[in-house]
Amino acid sequence: MMGINSYLKKTSSAAPLAVFRICFGFMLMGSLIRFWAKGWIDSLYIKPTYFFSFYGFEWVKPWGEYTYVLFLICGLCAFLVAIGLFYRVAIIGLFLSFSYIELIDKSTYLNHYYFISLICLLLVFLPAQVYFSVDSYRNKHIRAQFIPQWNIDSIKLMMAILYFYAGLAKVNSDWLFHAQPLSIWLPARNDMPIIGFLFNYAWIPYLFSWFGCLYDLSIPFLLWNKKFRIWAYVAVIVFHVLTALLFPIGMFPHIMMVAALIFFSADFHQKVIDRLTSIFRIPSTWLHDNLSYQSPRFLHVGFMVFFIFQMAFPFRYLAYPGELFWTEEGYRFSWRVMLMEKAGYAQFTVKGTNGLQAVVNNNLHLSTLQEKMMSTQPDMILQYAHHLRDYYANMGFTSPQVYVDSYVALNGRLGKPMISPHTDLAKEQDSFSHKTWILPFNDTIKGF
Amino acid sequence: MKKYLLIVLTGLIWACGSNGTGTDEPTPQEDGKDRKAILIHLADHVIIPSYANFKLKLDAMLAKSDAFTSQPNTANLQAFRSAWIEAYIEWQKVELFDFGPAEKQTIRNFFNIYPANEIGIQSNIADPAANLEVPASYAQQGFPALDFLINGVAKTDEEIVAYYLTPVEGTKRIAYIKRLTTRMNSLLDKVINEWNTTYRETYVSKTGLDISSSTSLMINGFVLHYERFIRSGKFGIPSGAMLNGVVAPEKVEAFYKKDISLVLAKTAHQAYVDFFNGKAVKTGFEGPSIKTYLDALKANDSATGKNLSEIINAQLEATKLKLDVLKPNLYEEVKTNNQAMVTVYTEMQKTVRLLKVDMTSAMSITITYTDNDGD
Repeated sequence: MMGINSYLKKTSSAAPLAVFRICFGFMLMGSLIRFWAKGWIDSLYIKPTYFFSFYGFEWVKPWGEYTYVLFLICGLCAFLVAIGLFYRVAIIGLFLSFSYIELIDKSTYLNHYYFISLICLLLVFLPAQVYFSVDSYRNKHIRAQFIPQWNIDSIKLMMAILYFYAGLAKVNSDWLFHAQPLSIWLPARNDMPIIGFLFNYAWIPYLFSWFGCLYDLSIPFLLWNKKFRIWAYVAVIVFHVLTALLFPIGMFPHIMMVAALIFFSADFHQKVIDRLTSIFRIPSTWLHDNLSYQSPRFLHVGFMVFFIFQMAFPFRYLAYPGELFWTEEGYRFSWRVMLMEKAGYAQFTVKGTNGLQAVVNNNLHLSTLQEKMMSTQPDMILQYAHHLRDYYANMGFTSPQVYVDSYVALNGRLGKPMISPHTDLAKEQDSFSHKTWILPFNDTIKGF
Repeated sequence: MKKYLLIVLTGLIWACGSNGTGTDEPTPQEDGKDRKAILIHLADHVIIPSYANFKLKLDAMLAKSDAFTSQPNTANLQAFRSAWIEAYIEWQKVELFDFGPAEKQTIRNFFNIYPANEIGIQSNIADPAANLEVPASYAQQGFPALDFLINGVAKTDEEIVAYYLTPVEGTKRIAYIKRLTTRMNSLLDKVINEWNTTYRETYVSKTGLDISSSTSLMINGFVLHYERFIRSGKFGIPSGAMLNGVVAPEKVEAFYKKDISLVLAKTAHQAYVDFFNGKAVKTGFEGPSIKTYLDALKANDSATGKNLSEIINAQLEATKLKLDVLKPNLYEEVKTNNQAMVTVYTEMQKTVRLLKVDMTSAMSITITYTDNDGD
């Protein structure tokens, strides 16, 4: 216990957290602007007539045309966080608005959005504004040059969990021994300049799979260790630049490359700040007050609980029978990234007891993205079936029954039906318990 | 910085490669993963020659059509009709290229949307300025409209000829036939012209697999063609398999001529099989194709080790066998032997799954068109 107590008392320069706040805020603002500019607010949150809400978050709905306002609030909060103005309000606003957006529709779920939400939540309780922020410039009472070491370490730990669990998820037979799904994805890029021809070789996906797995598992430790840090960071750049070039994964590589700077020393971050002050001709006297910030004691327990939860939650899949990649029960919120090439086809038939019957045109209810996501994920198939039940009940079908003819291919295996075609999905309830109407995978993917 | 690192890494991987796994790896070209080779073969030996063949048949039809319209008599009608049949059959071999120029001109919408809209056709005859560019006019032109005009306006050939010899009205009817055939000719010319000038180069150079790449557009068009126009259009809708068992014999292709509906379907199906296998139109030689690409990717059923391309070909063959037992007149088949029609649909549904899920997934192609099932 003495060890823990003395660790909790250890202080560090506030500079790394301040630099992280600035980078994180601007990156997030940039990614929101990009999202807006690509017209995705309209196509993902306004145009669709149905949204796949998360279990327990059914009350989260898009705001119609006002969804733009939601993004505006979110972007504004990100900017305020970056410059450190009205920090507490801004970071709470950022956490709430960003999480709200991500909870609107499951089909847009991305692990890195979840990561951003979690970092925002941590930042709500961390003193990222006490140093080199507009708030601390205006109010000398909140200024501090030193903060508890664990404040910074908690950001590092969050990143370490992301990487390590992403690596752990790759320790499976599909990834390591069949190089799936990279064996499918990489040949698709064989027309790239310079390196494209490599992807014609069967061993390249294996090399990439093993490198990716080892990278994810080891990078947090290498970054944490002063001796390897520079080389580890070079690996971070190489890895994420490669993934950015090869796969359409948007802002994620860029966010990770910038976020990983948090592992660098206080000196490094101080130099960054000194550089910024000289570029923008900011007076620097207020940055050297020698004051320390004390985090409230309840946070010790709070953060501990948070991290224990983070470390345990990805293992919840063990509570379900069946193959995780097939059922996806416990798949989300577990840092399982780019692990599956999964494609599917789902055709629904609705029957009323009054003899009415219809084969559903998914196009009338779902966007292309939503249909693609729904057709491979059992929980979304169920949600959609319930939507169809209600829709056709309104169309005059009495107590509609909903059946699905599904067909799913996973990681290069030939497709097969995923959902029992004889189950009336209208009567099945969604819950955290195992969905018995998912047909068995009849194959094993060994590993995590 | 990023570029520099990438080059270093490339060098490293290159170095590993050359002293590593050795020289028995096939070169990319032999390996069949070279999409450019596939695109070149399909463009030069399948697509462009198919359009050229169709152009010949359409020209022949135009000549017979002109002969009939300048002198409506039964001999000219019969000659026009058989040229129409030949062109309609040949059309089935190009309808599947629904990407690039064909998609840009939406040629299929103007050539083969059926059942024909009789009321619309009649009102267009009355109004020579009627707009034929809008979606509402799709079913008022192309092969199905001609089907109505030369096979469906009366029972016997004499009566049909009489229909065009009616004073005042007859001239307008003849003018409409001319308008339709001229329009078909000019649309086809636009498509062929673009293939022969700029598009061939665009097609063979966009070798990626992103949603705007040639392969992605082609595969999307190819899968959609099977799902919506072969499976649903020719069998699913008329047989009622897609509409709660409500049969609609009047929705078969070539409804007025009736006895060519099967040959149209079989031709379309064979053209589909041939395109999948990259069969050159002139020589019959099977070159780089979707099939060879899937083989190069080693796409197979991991349970049995069977090639995906073999599975697809076997399923297409199984479908063909179901087609073979049908009688030439699908209108009659729907009315008297509909179970055989439904069986074809069911067999085709299995093919759709293989194409839409297994094939695209193995190729890492995203299906970007939206479903139209149940329409």
